[in-house]
Amino acid sequence: MTTHLGVMMLFAACVAAVFGALLRDDPRDQVRMAGRIFTGLVVGAYAVGWVMYIAF
Amino acid sequence: MSRTSRSAVRVEKPAPAVTAPRAHPVLVGVLAWWVPGAGHLLQGHIRKALIFFIVLVAMFGIGLAFGGRLFPFQMTEPLVFLAAAAEWALALPRVASALGGLGGGNAVAITYEYGNTFLIVSGLLNALVLLDAVDLATGRKAR
Repeated sequence: MTTHLGVMMLFAACVAAVFGALLRDDPRDQVRMAGRIFTGLVVGAYAVGWVMYIAF
Repeated sequence: MSRTSRSAVRVEKPAPAVTAPRAHPVLVGVLAWWVPGAGHLLQGHIRKALIFFIVLVAMFGIGLAFGGRLFPFQMTEPLVFLAAAAEWALALPRVASALGGLGGGNAVAITYEYGNTFLIVSGLLNALVLLDAVDLATGRKAR
């Protein structure tokens, strides 16, 4: 896997899984938290990418 | 005071909390440092331990597969030193891959920096997992 998007999503999924398990105790809450972190990381990376593309 | 009213004002004693014996925090810390999730496993958090073990070892493996480098402790290069410290936060995979001759780093590979990122972040995440396990063992965090 050598696409930026694929690697970034893989990285975000790993980080989200660990933080979801760390920050919540209930399995359903863990999944919800991990989903939120994953979305935040991917959307944040897209946003920062677009800002850098437009501004620099 | 009648019998009925006396029993009405009697205060119920709260039931004693059921607490499992705590593992020694130092043992938990050392185990969690060597094997990701082992600190949680020792304290009965089996599901969390499995998640930490699978994800962190996978991240370390992906980092190696992407051509990431196992950095040496090099005092002259502060960033290399910090990267080495982060990678050493995941002790067993770090030692095992060094003994297996992995982690030489392929600087010309397109995924080299990705590999380093995965290796470094897996160690840093294990440091957080270790602190969480020690907090559980000391009672700073509720079980």
